[in-house]
Amino acid sequence: MTRAVMDPTIAPPFPVAALTVLRDTQLRKNVAHATDVIQAKRALLVAEKKDWQQLRTAAAAIRAHALANLGSYLEEFEKRCTEAGGVVHWAADAAEARAIILKLLREENATEVIKIKTMTSAEIQLNPALEAAGISVFETDLAELILQLGGDEPSHIVAPALHVNRGQVREIFARRMGLQNLSDDPQVLTAAARTYLRQKFLSVPTAISGANFLVAETGSVAVVESEGNGRMCLTLPRTMITLAGIEKVLPKFKDLEILLQVLARSATGERMNPYTSLWTGVTPGDGPQRFHVVLLDNGRSQILARPKERQTLQCIRCAACLNTCPVYRQTGGHAYGSVYGGPIGAILTPQLMQMEHAQTLPFASSLCGACYAVCPVKINIPEVLIALRAQVVDQERGQPARWFDPMFLGMKAANVIFASARQFRAAQWASRVGLSLFTGKDGWIHRLPGLGARWTVTRDLRGIPEQSFRQWWAARDKEQM
Amino acid sequence: MTTSSSSRRTILDRIGAATALPAAKNSYDELPRDYAKFGELDSDACIHLMTERLREYGADVAQSTPELLATVIAEQVQQSGRQRFVVPPEIPAEWMPAGFEWKVDHELRATDIEKCDGVITGAFAGIADSGTIVLHHSNTEGRRIITLLPDWHLCILNASQLVETLPEYFQRCTQPPLLATYISGPSATADIEMTRIQGVHGPRFLSLILVRDDR
Amino acid sequence: MRASLFITCYNDTLFPETGRAVVRLLERLGVELEFRPEQTCCGQMHANTGFGCEAFAQAKRFVRLYQDSESVVIPSSSCVAMIRDQYAGLFEKYGDEELRKQLASVLPRIFELSEFITDRVGVEDVGAYFPHRVTYHASCHGLRSLHVGERPLRLLGKVRGLDLVPLANLDRCCGFGGTFSIKNSEVSSAMLETKLHDVVSTRAEYCTALDNSCLMHLGGALHRQYAGMQTIHLAGILANTEESATEKKA
Repeated sequence: MTRAVMDPTIAPPFPVAALTVLRDTQLRKNVAHATDVIQAKRALLVAEKKDWQQLRTAAAAIRAHALANLGSYLEEFEKRCTEAGGVVHWAADAAEARAIILKLLREENATEVIKIKTMTSAEIQLNPALEAAGISVFETDLAELILQLGGDEPSHIVAPALHVNRGQVREIFARRMGLQNLSDDPQVLTAAARTYLRQKFLSVPTAISGANFLVAETGSVAVVESEGNGRMCLTLPRTMITLAGIEKVLPKFKDLEILLQVLARSATGERMNPYTSLWTGVTPGDGPQRFHVVLLDNGRSQILARPKERQTLQCIRCAACLNTCPVYRQTGGHAYGSVYGGPIGAILTPQLMQMEHAQTLPFASSLCGACYAVCPVKINIPEVLIALRAQVVDQERGQPARWFDPMFLGMKAANVIFASARQFRAAQWASRVGLSLFTGKDGWIHRLPGLGARWTVTRDLRGIPEQSFRQWWAARDKEQM
Repeated sequence: MTTSSSSRRTILDRIGAATALPAAKNSYDELPRDYAKFGELDSDACIHLMTERLREYGADVAQSTPELLATVIAEQVQQSGRQRFVVPPEIPAEWMPAGFEWKVDHELRATDIEKCDGVITGAFAGIADSGTIVLHHSNTEGRRIITLLPDWHLCILNASQLVETLPEYFQRCTQPPLLATYISGPSATADIEMTRIQGVHGPRFLSLILVRDDR
Repeated sequence: MRASLFITCYNDTLFPETGRAVVRLLERLGVELEFRPEQTCCGQMHANTGFGCEAFAQAKRFVRLYQDSESVVIPSSSCVAMIRDQYAGLFEKYGDEELRKQLASVLPRIFELSEFITDRVGVEDVGAYFPHRVTYHASCHGLRSLHVGERPLRLLGKVRGLDLVPLANLDRCCGFGGTFSIKNSEVSSAMLETKLHDVVSTRAEYCTALDNSCLMHLGGALHRQYAGMQTIHLAGILANTEESATEKKA
């Protein structure tokens, strides 16, 4: 298994990366199974919730409001968190966030660190930076542990190892934990992870977490999880460092009554995840006595500035859009070349890259709208995809080399054609004549050259009929007169 | 904070510029909140639902009256086959039956708590709809660590503390808690092929005694 | 009742039989149809590929062309979705106040074919006869943007002789997505394969839909694979009557 490239600055274009995974039959089977299971559970629990649409409306409104007033809510969070004994740091980009965290770890003389699953830390590529500085990183979420020990990359926002099956986990654990005769029973494998990590929880004094929500009113941080590894990291170490995107803030504690309801149902198809932890700064005698929050911008404030694209930041990372997406269900997450895959990744990643990388992602969608239909905070992902496609095309307009791309040329030509009925009729005639060269005796086209081959590689195309509709109408009009 | 103070200004300035349009601002109090605020079940139905939900999660649920509580706890402790227990500093003495080892948590060390094979606590609230036990970590609910390391958590919840829906719990919080843990079943994972496995790092066994103080 | 037929560029060129069926069907229902030959395209392909200002030119053409129409009927749910969901944004960005007013005035008079028949003409039994086993594919835009709901199924349910077989995973995309099928040809094909599995499992003779775009995609693969199933636009089924069937045979 070759390791997927998850750095958007060097990842291959989506269609190229997708081609590799489309041939990986085991991965596709694993992804299809996992997404089917989560989708079915989610559908049941959403159906039983009579006020689901009202919850979605409220959740979307709260998130949009928090973003519209982001500056004041962040300052309020900072004030409350500081009053409660926390230290708030601000990181403009990934490099600064890594530097801040590294400096804090050095102050702790840390040689080891335990981590709760955080996609934001993968976004800033924290682990390689820590390892390079001689700090050993221990991922404690079961899925993250599987990936770390297997030298693999996350393929899903909520269940990062969903592309790996039990047989593969058994093989990884047996090899890396030195366990002979390990069975592939998930119960046994989970017990192996428990034993493997128990000592780390009790001995490593520094932990890193992400945040699901920041509460401005109280300065609290909320983390939702299932396994208890989060609670271990939040309770046992001496020092806790939380890395959070600036968009994670909610105005008030009471807003959690909405977001926790929609998050668990959307993410894992549960009424509530097994453990939700909420803490505020430092509590004397209970949990870490040193607490740092690193607020990460890394492109987010620029997303905020664009009116259509801003809704991207409403995301609460439930991954319901991934599970329902017919593209993601074929490719899994690695094809997206970013820790954020699926529909939300297709809009988030290129924007975090300030549209300088990952420009093929906004096109990695059939715009079917299934993502928007399930989104608990009503992000109109198709609308944002189209807005980003326009941004990419606008870049191309300024690059003369791109003007000769067949797709670009075709679009410009079509624009001229559609500008008048006379030109359109001429184009209809020309394409009928042109395509007749490729049309078989059965009236169908089986093989086309150039871009057309990308259609005929798997589908036939019916030849263009002799008479267009408008010709028929005109002829009929004449008859009737 | 010296390293990031200039970034603080930069980020807040960027945000300020991005959100400058007054049209985008809307008042917090006017946000739509048309979802269900209250449940529909009476006390018995609520207890039934809580019991059903917790059993789905693989937790044990028993009922008791306030008078019989000490006896019910003693039975459960006896049947658990466990010997050494940790408890929060302010739980009633009758919750600790004789014949077992009881460690009262006055800042016990993690290694000592780790040696206990059970923990008994109270709770702040219960939420029937999701089968959730809410801890605000008062002196009857204990520090976070004591309900984390032992393998069995026995929680005592009064029926009067049980609500049906999550918003009803939030209504009971007159002040936002600064520390809270919401527990919905024993620790679990579905990371391997979406197969739910109970018991990863938190307690693998969860029991609840519902005390009928409501009649 | 009068209505303008916006046939759409691809139906005009590739599927003229759908246009003829719409005419036969609606005239049978007493609708006085007109066809404005100045029409070309709604701009969907350009807008969805990121060519916003080009799409705007076509959107402007469309809105001006149908200012005075009593109703505009369009046998393609994705083109209707384009007009309803995207024109306002394009006019916000490139247009003026006058154009936005014109759009607001024309929008309520735009109908997708099944909407037009059930909501505007107000019938479900259109007197059609189609003695075949048929499955209905819900095109994404009809399902999630227009919310046509059960309308097409109710229309099909009233067709005499028709054996309607439900399609599993009705809400899943066939993988067409316009230029997506070219830019991401391999992923699009994989999606198509998943969809075909459900479609072929119905053992229907015909697969129908509101959009010839989905049907061109599905039909292209069914034809390539000798699958023994054809595609037909909903209009083609609804236009068919016992008389026209006998005529054909004779």
